Amino acid sequence: MRPQRLIFILLAVSLAGLLSCGKQQSAFQVPVEYHKLDNGLKVVLSPNHTAPTVVVAVYYNIGFRIEPKNRTGFAHLFEHLMFQGSQNLGKMEFIRLVQKNGGVLNGSTRFDFTNYFEILPAHKLETALWAEADRMKGLAINQANLDNQRAVVKNEVKVNVLNRPYGGFPWLDMPQYANENWYNAHNFYGDLKDLDATTLKDAKNFFHTYYAPDNAALAIVGDFDPAEALQMVRKYFGGIPSVQLPPKPDISEPEQTKEKRFVKKDRLANRPAYAFAYHMPERNTPEYYAMGLIDQILLQGDDSRLYQALVQEKGYTGRISGGINLLGNMFNYNGPMLWMGNLIHDPSVPADSITAVIDREIAKISSRPVSQKTLDRAIVKIRSDLYDTMGGFFGIGEADLLAAFALFDDDPGRINDIEPEFRKITPQQIMETAKKYLRPTNRTILILEPQAGS
Amino acid sequence: MIRKKIQIALVMMCLALFPLYGQKQTPPEGGKPKNFTLPEIENFKLDNGLQVSMVHYGILPKASLQLVLRVGNINEKPDEVWLADLTGDMLKEGTTTLTSRQIAEKAADMGGSVDVSVGPDQMNMGGSVLQEFAPDMVQLMADMVEHPAFPETEIGRLKKNMLRRLTVQKNQPRSQAIEKFDAVLYGDHPYGRIFPTPTMINSYDLQKVKAFYLANYGAKRAHLYIVGKFDGPAVRKAVEAAFKDWKPGSDPFILKPSPKSEKKVYLIDRPGAPQSTIYLGLPVADPSSPDFLPLMVMNNLLGGSFASRITSNIREDKGYTYSPHSQVTTHYRDAYWLEVADVTTKFTGPSLKEIFYEIKRLQQEPPSAEELKGIQNYMAGTFVLRNSNPGSIINQLAFMNLHGLDASYLRDYVKNVYAVTPEQVQEMARRYLKTDRMTIVVVGDKKVVKRQLRPYGKIVL
Repeated sequence: MRPQRLIFILLAVSLAGLLSCGKQQSAFQVPVEYHKLDNGLKVVLSPNHTAPTVVVAVYYNIGFRIEPKNRTGFAHLFEHLMFQGSQNLGKMEFIRLVQKNGGVLNGSTRFDFTNYFEILPAHKLETALWAEADRMKGLAINQANLDNQRAVVKNEVKVNVLNRPYGGFPWLDMPQYANENWYNAHNFYGDLKDLDATTLKDAKNFFHTYYAPDNAALAIVGDFDPAEALQMVRKYFGGIPSVQLPPKPDISEPEQTKEKRFVKKDRLANRPAYAFAYHMPERNTPEYYAMGLIDQILLQGDDSRLYQALVQEKGYTGRISGGINLLGNMFNYNGPMLWMGNLIHDPSVPADSITAVIDREIAKISSRPVSQKTLDRAIVKIRSDLYDTMGGFFGIGEADLLAAFALFDDDPGRINDIEPEFRKITPQQIMETAKKYLRPTNRTILILEPQAGS
Repeated sequence: MIRKKIQIALVMMCLALFPLYGQKQTPPEGGKPKNFTLPEIENFKLDNGLQVSMVHYGILPKASLQLVLRVGNINEKPDEVWLADLTGDMLKEGTTTLTSRQIAEKAADMGGSVDVSVGPDQMNMGGSVLQEFAPDMVQLMADMVEHPAFPETEIGRLKKNMLRRLTVQKNQPRSQAIEKFDAVLYGDHPYGRIFPTPTMINSYDLQKVKAFYLANYGAKRAHLYIVGKFDGPAVRKAVEAAFKDWKPGSDPFILKPSPKSEKKVYLIDRPGAPQSTIYLGLPVADPSSPDFLPLMVMNNLLGGSFASRITSNIREDKGYTYSPHSQVTTHYRDAYWLEVADVTTKFTGPSLKEIFYEIKRLQQEPPSAEELKGIQNYMAGTFVLRNSNPGSIINQLAFMNLHGLDASYLRDYVKNVYAVTPEQVQEMARRYLKTDRMTIVVVGDKKVVKRQLRPYGKIVL
């Protein structure tokens, strides 16, 4: 086992040639090559020759958080429009191009970015780069395309929220209750009225404002030659003009000073549900990494304290889920964030008794330092999770981290620094972080009241 | 910024003047295809019948382990629905030497967890761990499946969880649709029983769980898969030591269904629903049939992929729905084709009209060679993806083993996909997608959709 791992680290080093010496290193290293084109496009290359496939991911630094105030849901609707037509690819042609070349594709809209990605046979890298560059150059859609995707998105909201028991609970609801700043607290899926009001002009403005190389990162992961890939990237993306980006609005959250509690009635649900959320420490601080480990200790896995207490000991529920950033992971966001948990329970269990168990378990880690064994276990779990994230969906997970770190930190090499940052955390820091952030006055409780008969 | 605006304006003009279409650039072809070699599989068998497949794959320092057993809802009697699930849940509640908490903590120390899931034909137990712990994970899984403690203290809680899950699930439109659809197709066969009644759950006790375990668990029904990074000889040694004393048990229980379908519309009322959930389909060839692969090609072209005909039509053209898709659901020696779509209520009838239009169009006219080639490339490409991830490698091997497909299935897959002709695709649609025999289930607002459904068969409420 050991020799195997050694070989692999050497291989990664020789490929990357970028690892900073002197820093404590992860057991596993991802090759990272980082370039910036003259127009500002950030390019991250990470070769891996395991399989003859390649991931191309373009991330735009525009998420639903800062979409226009009178156009809730617009960032997401716009993501759909990016599949509707560009200069050289008409309606359905982008999708067909990827598919007929043996690939799969998708896009998504998150708090702080919108992404578009393809996974293709490795030799189709150039085809994918050409197509992504084509749609970065310009949107070519008409009213019919807009009407069509507006209908599709409204159906998306119906299937995921409006026609579904517990729809939107708590992932879409909680940010609206727990946050105070509109940017963090509006309906990200969008009010159907706002979606209806959208015009082609809105789409054009949005495109011109945010969809430009200097507001984007391109990550390529898989079986390719970095020098060749970079040449292709320059060829297709190099000529796209940059834009003057608007100043970023103030997305900060005021410090919470009182516990908040809300009840949401769900006319489709037939069992009560409970969710809690705490505001997270600022990203990339020691406290942030400590919260990542606290999440492992309290909430992730069957060994976690809340699972053991609420499921095994009390029998209040069969399952508790949650984490940091329910629309991604603790790495791919860039602003205020919540640590959340939720469960479905029987009417015989009052919400207060759930809160009492949560308080009891938090008190255990905030009143004294956890044992080294507990901390070691949390680190093993988070390392293992991190590898799963990287490997997820055929390498998309790795591309996601690289692009997010390029966009938000201008440093995709951070992918190799995460693990050491967690290792630096001490039991003392776990205790202090729990004490400072996991206090009732930093918490929102959302209770779902079922209205459907059982 | 200004330059860009002009560019956009020009693009819009081009789009308006459609004949200029010909001036568009064509996408670059890309380079030369690279060779794809299937990962090598090391197979061995223990004396008690346990089969083992190991595949060294990838660079991430993790190993995925799954024990797949031929035990599932197929083994339940009519009044035992979900007893297989309860038995699976009980495996996590402790072994003769470990408590449930110790199991969870041991797995967590390896960077993983042991998950158990139960399906119609098979149950899966396993998870993924950091590579150095693969032998320990083997040991833990063996202990859980061979020496369950079945503690009396936990069964009441698990039954309560199960009752809650049942109540919550039965309220979901898709659950309601699949329950009806499978009941119509399979009648009294276990595949037709998706949900238990609360009375059934209340009747389960330790004795029933133990009896189910004794009757159905054993090495002869089991296949262990280990895929990823791990020390091969050490894992093999661990497997031999941990599983050698497992009782062989009985051979898999086989009960072939005789699914039926006729042209009827089952309408489940969901008053005020903004969407109708449509399940539409009928029995087709199963994976052991030579028709299966051509059928999959047809399915991907018709509704099984993003660019497929039905999706292009009812999503990208009409905007009736967000996530329509067709699929072939398989059981042991059994399969059905299914189109699933949640459509805006007022377009329920029009959606069915378009779905049938696309089926009939394919029956009347073979696809162009170009359209077919696109689907074949897609299937060849996703085949590589399916074989380049530990989890999906395991799923694929388990699929092959359940259906009795040998190594040639993998070896010749791409070749066989490309051998399918446009006429064969048409023939598959004709032979299997008989529009006068489709079972249609609609979960929607009865007062709005009933009239829209009339042309599609006798309505059963």
